[in-house]
Amino acid sequence: MNDPSVPPSGASGLPQHDRRSFLGNTSMTLGAIALAKLLEGDGLLASPAEDSPSLRSIDPARPYAARPPHFPAKAKNVVVIFCAGAVSQLETWDYKPELSRWDGKPLPGGPAVTFQGPAGNLARPQYPFRQRGQTGKWVSDLIPHLAQWTDDIAFVHSLTSKSNTHGPAENFLSTGFVLDGFPSLGSWVTYALGSENQELPAYVAIPDPRGVPQNGSNNWGAGFLPAAFQGTPLSSKKPIRHLAAPDVSAQSDRAARELLQRLNSRHFEANPHEGKWAARIASYELAARMQLSVPEISDLSTESEHTLKMFGADQTHNPDKAAFAQNCILARRLIERGVRCVQLFNGAYASGGKLNWDGHHALKEQYDVHAEIMDQPVAALIGDLKQRGLLEDTLVVWCTEFGRMPFFQKGAKGRDHNPDGFTCWLTGAGVKPGVSHGTTDELGQRAVEQIHPLYHFNATILHLLGLDFKRLSFQHNGIDRRLTNVEGKVIRQVLA
Amino acid sequence: MPCFRAMILIALWTSLTVSEVAAAEPLDFVRDIRPIFENHCYACHSGDERASGLRLDVKSAALKGGDNHGPDIIPGKPDESPLVEFITSDDPQHRMPPDDAMPEDEIAMLVRWVAEGAAWPEGVDLVTLKDTRDHWSFKPLRFAGGSATIDAFVTEKHHELNLEMSPPAVRSQWLRRVTMDLTGLPPSPQQVVAFNEDTRVDAYDRVVDRLLSSPRYGERWAQHWLDLVRYADTHGFEVNTERPNAWPYRDYVIRSFNNDTPYDQFIQEQLLGDRLGADAATGFLVTASVLLPGQIGKDEPSLRLARQDALDEVVNNISLSFLGLSVGCARCHDHKFDPISANDYYAMQAIVAGVQYAERELRTPESMAAKQRLERQRNRIAEIDDELSRFAPLAFSGAERPMVNARQNVDRWNPVTTQRIRFSILQTNNLEPCVDELEVFSVAGTNVALAAHAAVVTTSGDTTVADRHERRFINDGQYGNARSWMSSEVGRGWVTIEFAQPETIDRVVWGRDRNGQYTDRLATEYRIEVANDSGNWSVVADSTDRQTYDSAAVEPAEFTTQGLDATAAEAANQLVQEKRGLLASNQQLGQPQQVFAGTFRNPDSIHLLLRGDPEKPGEAVAPAIPSAFGDASLSVDASEWERRKLLADWLVRPDHPLTARVMVNRIWQGHFGTGLVASPSDFGNNGMPPSHPELLDWLAKEFIRSGWSIKQMHRKIVLSKTYRQSSAVRPEFAAIDADVRYLWRYPSRRLEAESIRDSILAVSGNLNLQMEGRGFDLFNQRGGLSGFKPVETFQADGSRRMIYAHKVRREPESVFGAFDCPDAGQSTAVRLESTTPIQALNLFNSRFVIDQSSALARRVGRECGDDHVAQVTQAFRYALQRTPSAAELAEVVPLVRQHGLVPLCRALFNTNEFLFVP
Repeated sequence: MNDPSVPPSGASGLPQHDRRSFLGNTSMTLGAIALAKLLEGDGLLASPAEDSPSLRSIDPARPYAARPPHFPAKAKNVVVIFCAGAVSQLETWDYKPELSRWDGKPLPGGPAVTFQGPAGNLARPQYPFRQRGQTGKWVSDLIPHLAQWTDDIAFVHSLTSKSNTHGPAENFLSTGFVLDGFPSLGSWVTYALGSENQELPAYVAIPDPRGVPQNGSNNWGAGFLPAAFQGTPLSSKKPIRHLAAPDVSAQSDRAARELLQRLNSRHFEANPHEGKWAARIASYELAARMQLSVPEISDLSTESEHTLKMFGADQTHNPDKAAFAQNCILARRLIERGVRCVQLFNGAYASGGKLNWDGHHALKEQYDVHAEIMDQPVAALIGDLKQRGLLEDTLVVWCTEFGRMPFFQKGAKGRDHNPDGFTCWLTGAGVKPGVSHGTTDELGQRAVEQIHPLYHFNATILHLLGLDFKRLSFQHNGIDRRLTNVEGKVIRQVLA
Repeated sequence: MPCFRAMILIALWTSLTVSEVAAAEPLDFVRDIRPIFENHCYACHSGDERASGLRLDVKSAALKGGDNHGPDIIPGKPDESPLVEFITSDDPQHRMPPDDAMPEDEIAMLVRWVAEGAAWPEGVDLVTLKDTRDHWSFKPLRFAGGSATIDAFVTEKHHELNLEMSPPAVRSQWLRRVTMDLTGLPPSPQQVVAFNEDTRVDAYDRVVDRLLSSPRYGERWAQHWLDLVRYADTHGFEVNTERPNAWPYRDYVIRSFNNDTPYDQFIQEQLLGDRLGADAATGFLVTASVLLPGQIGKDEPSLRLARQDALDEVVNNISLSFLGLSVGCARCHDHKFDPISANDYYAMQAIVAGVQYAERELRTPESMAAKQRLERQRNRIAEIDDELSRFAPLAFSGAERPMVNARQNVDRWNPVTTQRIRFSILQTNNLEPCVDELEVFSVAGTNVALAAHAAVVTTSGDTTVADRHERRFINDGQYGNARSWMSSEVGRGWVTIEFAQPETIDRVVWGRDRNGQYTDRLATEYRIEVANDSGNWSVVADSTDRQTYDSAAVEPAEFTTQGLDATAAEAANQLVQEKRGLLASNQQLGQPQQVFAGTFRNPDSIHLLLRGDPEKPGEAVAPAIPSAFGDASLSVDASEWERRKLLADWLVRPDHPLTARVMVNRIWQGHFGTGLVASPSDFGNNGMPPSHPELLDWLAKEFIRSGWSIKQMHRKIVLSKTYRQSSAVRPEFAAIDADVRYLWRYPSRRLEAESIRDSILAVSGNLNLQMEGRGFDLFNQRGGLSGFKPVETFQADGSRRMIYAHKVRREPESVFGAFDCPDAGQSTAVRLESTTPIQALNLFNSRFVIDQSSALARRVGRECGDDHVAQVTQAFRYALQRTPSAAELAEVVPLVRQHGLVPLCRALFNTNEFLFVP
């Protein structure tokens, strides 16, 4: 998992905080003992066989300890590329030649009014499609770089959502519920599996450089799971907050650490069996390590020029693209160090489609911009993970909250929301390469074969990580809650 | 219709029966049929696995069928039985079992079994259906006779389990514990000294009385309730915009705890407060996230779904908070564990089917009186304006009229009957013209231009700035720049108003800004025309006979008596005087307080929805309480109010099996971290059994007996021996009861997010005790592209208790949110206690903690001068409520001498001793 080209954390001469300073120079202080306990991945955790259906046993003192999956699986980590605003399936992955024939004609029997208002006439795909790779998969010219990977990808073309509204639909994609306040996919995964790296957050959400997605932090919220499993926002532009105290000298900082350590030790001696106190002492030790690891992981200066170029991170004339490309490199670096779940956002907040994929009015004009930002960096991320061997145990998910209508909106050159048939895809560990599963009708409006509500897609992601979506649950207010509510089904056709 | 394959099978069987009837051995359910179910169906359709609501391991349930298709088995009619259709379907999406593994002969056997009458003998099932009503918490409170005590119940369990009570905590620890518990703040050094020196027998009682009468108590305990109802000051979902007037509900909850409002009344007020003089209490009904109208799709299914989601949240809030039951599952199917059918669920929806999420005026007796007075005075002002405008000179009378002014202008003419009037602006003093209100008066004195009178506005074009300049503001009856119309063109523009019917009118009153703040964008040349029947316009007034506009001229008075004779001037002046007085008074009466609370209208018609799908409505459902608890119900046309009253009356019945139990358990949990029932919002079949069932019932009885007094409950609990125990871990007992469910010690726990922040402020001396009103901001920027940007340094307002923070849904506060602060998405009945390095980073490095460390250092420095020992001692007394030991002094003082007090204060705020209830 470690890339030899990257120095181990702490060795790169990052000065600011001396790692040992937290505990003074004594090697076996209380904090060290507590930490050792915290890091040890012993067998006390419930084995899959003992795992009760309602609660995966988490030691509150060691929430990030790596935990075994329910069953062996190739994928250990997951990168979720989340395209906010609803990417049109018709301009990307879902080839509909019939739609070109009907261009400009009304859809017989189609809806008069859709999400945003009156429906207009059918509109041809706005980009030419061509066949790619060994499989001859038809993909549009909008995304030429990603199109090179179609032989490695398993597409699901027949997904459906429960809402046609961005907020609830992003909730549904990320949490399995349209309502606010349910745990996100990444929270479920880290709750289940912990992390391989104790010095970085187990679950990192990387917001788009242009802003947060439409349903904001609910996309990486922990809901009612312990706060430990909440996604930590971190991007190439925005570091983790509170890594260092503002306006505090190094001496003062050291003195405070030493005082804290001494006060806590004495206090602990009086009641040495209080596990909660030991856990909190250890958490300061972990924090000290994180103070070193996080700046280092965000520091892309060690990346080669070749890498920066491959991702497009050198394209300073397109700052949004360069920043998103840096986020993609950051995602790879996090995965490289064993971070369990990385959620990479492409597209920001509602903005009339200017800053995300919500192409209501000027779809082509706006997609030209968005695809330029998304295509090359994401394709490079897949390529980079692959060439470093990381794709062997990393699952990559590309998703969007719903699709778009085959007709334009009345008086506009864009497509309205369509939750009845859209495309997301998987690649990497455990995924069957070169598969196109499920179909929409000839015009791409509705899923007609192998229809899969997003529950199935999420169940499949869990399955690929070795988790049984029915057993991964948490009791909240009397209900064994799951990512997939009471639904779910693994889409076996996309499994290797 | 069964498919082709089924027909063949059925036909085969039929032909079989004809030809080989004698040969076919009679089927035996246990021998022939159940094994097929076991092999192919039980994995998804037995026990707790009931895909699509179907289970095949119990006769009654199997015959009843699944959610979408019941009955499933129709004896003698295989071609009408959904079960047969599923196992014989050609459609792979439809086909059961999904792995397609049922052999043809077994399919044939099942078909034959159904055809032969589906014989399923009684008493052969290996499992029995549990009667979900047969559950402890649904039964009446058990009578616990005699004079019991909490300690007696706890000790009895100790005897059973070979545990024993721990010795009492030292006095100062108990004081810190009870003070943190009841007020969420640490005791002051003076309070510690006073208590330690108080040798009276009732010293403990006195402390409890003092704490319960402190307003800090309500601020602490209201938070528990607000967690439960997921209170927030934003709307949630995509835009998560401000819900600016949610706080009256928050303040209501704080006041209720402080006043010890009896719990039954507290329930009634939250459901019925609009008629009980507690209007803000109905905020309870609408605390959830909700999609704003603009966010919901324009298509009908989107609207229906959004309404269903909104109602679902109300039902959930009621059932989780008051009943300790989740009924939400029954939105799609009968509850799996509890006696709540889908019908029961929709009957509860019918109870709240007239509730809307909206902002409205807050009605209190004072506000109602003020409102009436305001209304009277406004009417009088309108009359005065009307009378005054009659003194205005006629247009085109030959006399020069006064210069236009930004505040108000009157154009009067001889009465004319028309349905349309046009106000055309030909020149302005600068920029695009802006008009805050255009009033057109009928001879009867009515402003017929008001939108409220169905007048319709068209314009030459608008410059729209939402909530400031909009076309609709020109005739909305409200004055001022912030409610004005602006033309799209520089120096010109026109407005046409079409009345609902022809009106006889004689004047227009218009202004740029009646509030007198703005004088730019003023129409200096204009023309007023009316349309005749054939649509031709004729001018009734214009600016040509007005004094030429001069921007340097002094802004004229609102009204001038220029050109009036003495009698008229006298009359006019009197009116002007009266108006001034009224305006001043109105200013005082102020804008009525708005509130985001239950807003009520005629109830929607509620239908049973197939699998919760609003597009698949079934029969209409009438309002009723859940059928397992009684038969109180109303007709489908019952009034909105009766519905809520039905529910409230049922909830507060003294013989209600859940209400009191659920609440005393929440109170207990607030003191010990875990309830007697560890699943505080699930008292159903899937919940945890009570650790001390008799104690729970006794407390519930006492609660009701005390008149539902929450403070009496606190007093009983915190004065018990059980509560007074030391928290030290005793390994021999930890081996028996690691989770301390049986209370052989006091279970120490980490402070909640709010208590940590409040305590830091209290200790640093910066806590601002201002109560009530709009919350202070935790974020500088609300929503939008860069999300919520946290405030780093707080001013005085931001030093209020955290319950007064403006709570942004789902957005964790940047320092304390990581301490398991609920996100107000779903109900939080118990806070988890996680430990993460992010918490450590926040508490050790945030600007907030550094600022407060400096403040504490200054406070201690002020009080103790340069004496390092005295400084350290004082810092300990503030933060930890004790003096340092000699060993601690020896360690700490040299570091303080070298680095000052700030590092010590910062460390103290991060110690376990500071962060835990002892």
